[in-house]
Amino acid sequence: MSDTFFTASPHWEWYIILYFFIGGIAGGCFLLAALLQVFGRPEDRPVARLGYYAALVGAGASGLMLTLDLTRPERFWHMLLQSHTGLPMFKAWSPMSVGAWGLLGFGGFAFLATLAVLEEEGLSWSVLRRGPVRWLAQTGPATAIAVLGSLFGLFLAGYTGVLLAVTNRPIWADSSFLGLLFLLSAGSTAAACLMLLATWRRRGDIETLETLARFDRRMLLFELIALALFVGSLGPVARVLAGWWGALLLVGVVGVGIVLPLALERRGGGPARLARASALVLAGGLLLRTVVILSSNAIHVTGTSVVQ
Amino acid sequence: MAECHPVAFRWPMKAKVEHGAKIIHVDPRFTRTSAVADIYAPIRAGSDIAFLGGLINHVLADEHWNRDDFFRDYLVHYTNAATILRDDFKDTEDLDGAFSGLLEYSGNNADWPFDGFLGEYDAGTWGYARRGKGGAAATQPGTPFAALVRSLRQPAADRDETLHHPRCVFQVLKRHFSRYTPEMVAEVTGCPAQTFLEVARTVLANSGRDRTTAWAYAVGWTQHTYGPQMIGCCALLQLLLGNIGRPGGGILALRGHASIQGSTDVPTLYHSIHGYLEAPSALKGHTTLRAYLASETPATGYYANTPAFVVSYLKSMYGDAATAANDYGYDWHPKISGDHSHMPMFVAMGEGKVKGMLCVGQNPATSINAGAERTGLRQLEWLVVKDNWLTETATFWSRAPEVARGEIRPEDIDTEVFFLPSTQVAETEGSFTNTQRMLQWHFKAAEPPGQCRSDVWFTYQLGVRLKKLYGESTLPRDAGFQRLTWDFAPDTPGAVAGEPDPLRVLRELNGYHTGHADQHLSGFAELKDDGSTTCASWIYCGVYPAPNENLAARREADPPGASGAELNWGWAWPANRRVLYNRASADLDGRPWSEAKKWVWWDVTQKKWVGYDVPDFALTKAPDAPADPNGIGLDALSGRQPFIMKPDGMGWLFTPTGLLDGPLPTHYEPAESPVRNPLYGRQSSPVLKYWKRGDNLLAVVGDPRYPYVMTTYRLTEHYLAGAMSRWSPWLTELQPEQFVELSPELAAEKGIGNTDWVTVTTPRGAARGKALVTRRVRPFQIGGRTVHQVGMPWHWGWEGLVTGDVVNQLTAFVADPNVSIHEGKAFVCNVEKA
Amino acid sequence: MPEPMGFYTDTTVCIGCKACEVACKEWNQLPAAEGGQRTLSGDSYDNTQRLDGIHWRHVKFVEQFDTSRDNGRWLMLSDVCKHCVRAGCLEVCPTGAIIRTEFDTVVIQSDTCNGCRLCIAACPFGVIDINPVSHTAEKCTLCYDRLQAGMVPACAQACPTQSIQFGAIKDLKVRAAARVEQLHRLGESRAQLYGADEEMLGGLNSFYLLVDEPEVYGLPRAPKLPSRNLFKSSLFSVLGAAIVALAGFVGLRQRRMEERAREEGGGGV
Ligand SMILES: Nc1nc2c(c(=O)[nH]1)N[C@H]1C(S)=C(S)[C@@H](COP(=O)(O)OP(=O)(O)OC[C@H]3O[C@@H](n4cnc5c(=O)[nH]c(N)nc54)[C@H](O)[C@@H]3O)O[C@H]1N2
Ligand SMILES: Nc1nc2c(c(=O)[nH]1)N[C@H]1C(S)=C(S)[C@@H](COP(=O)(O)OP(=O)(O)OC[C@H]3O[C@@H](n4cnc5c(=O)[nH]c(N)nc54)[C@H](O)[C@@H]3O)O[C@H]1N2
Ligand code: SF4
Ligand code: SF4
Ligand code: SF4
Ligand code: SF4
Ligand code: SF4
Ligand SMILES: [Mo]
Repeated sequence: MSDTFFTASPHWEWYIILYFFIGGIAGGCFLLAALLQVFGRPEDRPVARLGYYAALVGAGASGLMLTLDLTRPERFWHMLLQSHTGLPMFKAWSPMSVGAWGLLGFGGFAFLATLAVLEEEGLSWSVLRRGPVRWLAQTGPATAIAVLGSLFGLFLAGYTGVLLAVTNRPIWADSSFLGLLFLLSAGSTAAACLMLLATWRRRGDIETLETLARFDRRMLLFELIALALFVGSLGPVARVLAGWWGALLLVGVVGVGIVLPLALERRGGGPARLARASALVLAGGLLLRTVVILSSNAIHVTGTSVVQ
Repeated sequence: MAECHPVAFRWPMKAKVEHGAKIIHVDPRFTRTSAVADIYAPIRAGSDIAFLGGLINHVLADEHWNRDDFFRDYLVHYTNAATILRDDFKDTEDLDGAFSGLLEYSGNNADWPFDGFLGEYDAGTWGYARRGKGGAAATQPGTPFAALVRSLRQPAADRDETLHHPRCVFQVLKRHFSRYTPEMVAEVTGCPAQTFLEVARTVLANSGRDRTTAWAYAVGWTQHTYGPQMIGCCALLQLLLGNIGRPGGGILALRGHASIQGSTDVPTLYHSIHGYLEAPSALKGHTTLRAYLASETPATGYYANTPAFVVSYLKSMYGDAATAANDYGYDWHPKISGDHSHMPMFVAMGEGKVKGMLCVGQNPATSINAGAERTGLRQLEWLVVKDNWLTETATFWSRAPEVARGEIRPEDIDTEVFFLPSTQVAETEGSFTNTQRMLQWHFKAAEPPGQCRSDVWFTYQLGVRLKKLYGESTLPRDAGFQRLTWDFAPDTPGAVAGEPDPLRVLRELNGYHTGHADQHLSGFAELKDDGSTTCASWIYCGVYPAPNENLAARREADPPGASGAELNWGWAWPANRRVLYNRASADLDGRPWSEAKKWVWWDVTQKKWVGYDVPDFALTKAPDAPADPNGIGLDALSGRQPFIMKPDGMGWLFTPTGLLDGPLPTHYEPAESPVRNPLYGRQSSPVLKYWKRGDNLLAVVGDPRYPYVMTTYRLTEHYLAGAMSRWSPWLTELQPEQFVELSPELAAEKGIGNTDWVTVTTPRGAARGKALVTRRVRPFQIGGRTVHQVGMPWHWGWEGLVTGDVVNQLTAFVADPNVSIHEGKAFVCNVEKA
Repeated sequence: MPEPMGFYTDTTVCIGCKACEVACKEWNQLPAAEGGQRTLSGDSYDNTQRLDGIHWRHVKFVEQFDTSRDNGRWLMLSDVCKHCVRAGCLEVCPTGAIIRTEFDTVVIQSDTCNGCRLCIAACPFGVIDINPVSHTAEKCTLCYDRLQAGMVPACAQACPTQSIQFGAIKDLKVRAAARVEQLHRLGESRAQLYGADEEMLGGLNSFYLLVDEPEVYGLPRAPKLPSRNLFKSSLFSVLGAAIVALAGFVGLRQRRMEERAREEGGGGV
């Protein structure tokens, strides 16, 4: 029996599942926005802007989820500052500590990036015409923000998997592929999210959507491989997934979240179909995190026996 | 022991880990004690005499035991093995399970207090064979007590130290126990013969010159209609093995409530006055002080001093009013007029013969045959409950199951119930006497809250008020109350108004020179029969030898590596002795039997007994000192007779006097049993007590409606009826619900799953609990068939944070004749899925 | 600096009396679960079932009987935080709430903890949980307050049989080794120490003498630090990040190329 079975559940539930989901989307959106901004056409810019907004909103929501999940939310800042001394609190080897800083950094860049592109929306807020903001919008600084923010975005999308792995919990700590899996899933869900937003706000042209869709399909294929790697790496622990969780993973995550959207997109078609596929991808991404987290939570020791 | 005396259990565990001691556990269930035992012997509840009898038979037949000079010396000289019995004595071998002298009642004894007995023994034939008869007791008024005692001397008993005489105790024993073969043990107890033999060999191998075996027991042995015989049987075995009076030997009673030992010493028992002296009784012809002394004083042995104990006690009762002229107020002393033990009191209560009851620290509404006990409570005019909690007894009129079911309406109960809140243990000062007879002074840690008062406050204040109430009375029956000394008020009042001074109580127990309360007595050797000493409890004499010396408060441990007597820790009665009869730890010549088991010995140069412990012997009586054939008291015993409280100075293998149900332990079945007694025609004790009432029916042998053996017991996590534990969330979370332990085999038969609700029924009532299906409980093979056994802890009731059915709804009013202990440990029942 | 202190628990003399459980609750004023009004677990005599924020000690019961009941055993073990020399909980705690004391014990500072619960997932023994009163992660402190006052931990003090022995780790190890040897001599070949060895997380400052395999007592055979996964997992994540970024870049590049081809070819595909 895996040694991870003798541990206790941290009772991470919906806040954390949502955080992992949203954080991944936010990080991915920033990356896609940055790519569209740096390497894309001018026609891509409205979607890129949407990406930055999504990143900013996602970062905020992530912070909120994370804080709400704390059993002492008013002490969220203890993650960043030592409560006794006020000095910075940072542990390079603790994914949660690094993650807290990462989220903060990401939020900062998402904010800056958003600030820089807001003027393009034709807003007349005076603050947008101030020097520093204008400076941000220049190519040099904007590119720097895009690159650095993307790095943070990628971090945010992937560290959550590392966080789970750097525990002693069944499934999470039994594999090293969760970070990889979450990153790929962040890519697909971010693309799906952007496509949905774009169709909803009617921004961007069909080319942008097509580009995103292609990216999404690639991510889904990679995700499928990563998922196989992940399950395979669990070894005997994978037996835990025999049952409802496994069924959910197979039918929900793989079937509904990967195969079905792939099939839908492959048939090509208009924004409506893409939007439908995107919704499924998002559902699959959420389900993936749900299964990964809750299936592990269900395992603990009662008395001297392991309950699954 | 681990379950109920976990703190004391540290010593067996220490012995095991540090000295390689072997632990054997004999119990119907595999308990937490079994878990750490080297050998676990499962037996059917109620069959211990068969088990012990088997051990005795094994020892008697053992070749090494028969040849070894240690065993032989101990047997011949320290026990009554060589004593010859009367020729009209008939053993159970002769009478198929009864002894000579049995009188069986056939009529119906409607008249309480005599009701209860099924039969009685005339113990006249159980005595020793003596040449001639003693003279008449000199009980004429004015006879000096010494002369009275001398008049009680009996001629010496006949002995045969070769042990060949067919009527010597040894030969009678051999015959008596010859039926208790390993096969028979297995048949009666269900214990596999190999396990039994392993126990027998281990016990024998660990007894002798260099080794001793100790037996510890508690209510698994006592709560039977032959409970005292169970312990007697073990005493017999221990005497055969030379394990009495020696370090690491003995039969250790593990007692119950905190200071329950103290409460029987002092005592709260109805049938004894202080220090285990018989209570004066109208039933025994104790009409005058001298008549009492004549019936209760043996002329030989230390108890020849009984007059001094009793006179000093009477001086303590009546002070200056007690004079030689009025027999020290003996006539004022209450006399017992019947069986006032627990069960008959409740029987009488049910019949409306008891007006009121003071219930101080007891919870009878959940006690044996709880339904019948509550019937009794409902007939009371008044009931005072003094407790820390609103117990089931305090709320029997509003929340008992029969009230909850609507069978009884509170408005139909006339009992007026008063509840007096009591202090908790930490809020009182006084002595605690533990199971080792050791008094330890206990200081108050906090003042009681609100109106809570200590029990000593209550008792003292009640006495003060009653004395006032009876002060003007001219009724003769109140004369004693008027003269009762009751001077316990402190010199300087403490925080609680009216609280007596516990040290004054201790002084009264310890005793002092009459008229000089500050001249405390230093030991019972100082007690006089002329009124010059005042002492309530002769056994406590010496605990408080001077006003500034409370020996119970001593807390000085022995240095590491010392003998282990710990004489400077607290104070143990009698005379701070830790091992009783410790003269037996030395051989005939007074030398230690071995270096390993050295304890008390004769020092030739100092010409006195010395040792690690306080010697339990006349200090300067040499081992070779002969007995004075005409002497009284200790003079009648030689330097080789260690059992100085016995008239013949011997350990009694055969008990000629004192027991009502036979001189030798004999296996009987419990009052309710699924099987016929495989050993004798007599099914159960012919002299057990039983109260025949509609709510106290018994199942007949093998009644198919009640096929299972039931036993009740305690859990470490709870305390007795539960008032003290079921209000504490820290304890209730550990054992929240009433359960029934049963084997998977029975569970399968009955279709019962783990934690299913089940109902247990007996002819008296029903109780529900959740099934705890466990292989720690096993089916037994008894007489060739499977007998299932189930067990229930009995800690639940309807009050408290967690509640449950009262297990004593199931039990019956049956009792042993000697001490009226109930049979909560073995009866029959049925179990069904609820 | 005082030397490392801790527990050696000899399970062979544990009588399952739970005095340790109650003493701990009393000293630390921990509430009972559900106000004490729980239901019967049906799992032997174990009704508290696990260590958590209000059960810093937990006595486990293992019934080992076959149908014959021959040589049946009822094993008991009083479980507690192991005060690992290399402690997973301490390693991951993002707020610095978990500290190592001068006694080499591991303590959660309740006023710092914000309840992220990572330590719960990180502990290889399932020791920690949230205390419903303080809403912070809590566990055995090895009676840090009592140690500072020179007292013995409440549980060890209450243990009647010295199953829980408190002292300097190096003395305890000597004592424990001797006991194992004694048990081996007496024929209990299964007797083994758990966590006395430095190989296990640098040594457990609360180590055990067991007479069966660790799993039988609900203990992991080879507990590990959470950080064992840090490097590998991070590496794969970086790989993932590269894949995502590259895929995005390549996708745009591709489009550019296609566009260019379209422009050059002058017509659509
Ligand atoms: N935790 C705790 N400790 C207590 C108490 C308590 O309620 N809780 N009560 C105190 C009191 S008042 C007392 S009197 C003592 C009692 O202490 P114990 O006598 O130890 O208490 P019990 O559990 O009633 O019974 C002991 C064992 O006797 C077994 N038994 C039942 N029938 C038989 C039989 O026929 N033969 C043999 N050999 N064994 C049998 C039971 O299975 C049980 O394991 O404990 C005291 N200590
Ligand atoms: N079936 C079955 N029945 C049994 C037994 C069994 O083994 N099986 N065991 C028997 C035995 S051995 C015993 S001892 C009896 C016990 O039976 P009880 O004595 O009737 O039951 P307890 O619950 O001990 O009641 C003691 C009460 O004293 C209260 N108390 C505690 N401290 C103080 C104090 O300082 N002052 C006052 N005034 N009150 C205090 C407690 O709150 C509690 O309510 O039960 C007997 N009944
Ligand atoms: S309940 Fe009290 S007296 Fe009994 S073993 Fe426990 S500590 Fe000792
Ligand atoms: S046992 Fe768990 S909680 Fe205790 S120190 Fe080790 S990792 Fe931390
Ligand atoms: S729950 Fe508290 S102690 Fe545990 S890791 Fe988080 S902040 Fe640290
Ligand atoms: S050391 Fe203190 S805190 Fe830890 S279990 Fe023991 S009593 Fe509880
Ligand atoms: S106090 Fe000691 S003997 Fe009792 S359960 Fe705890 S460790 Fe075992
Ligand atoms: Mo008792």
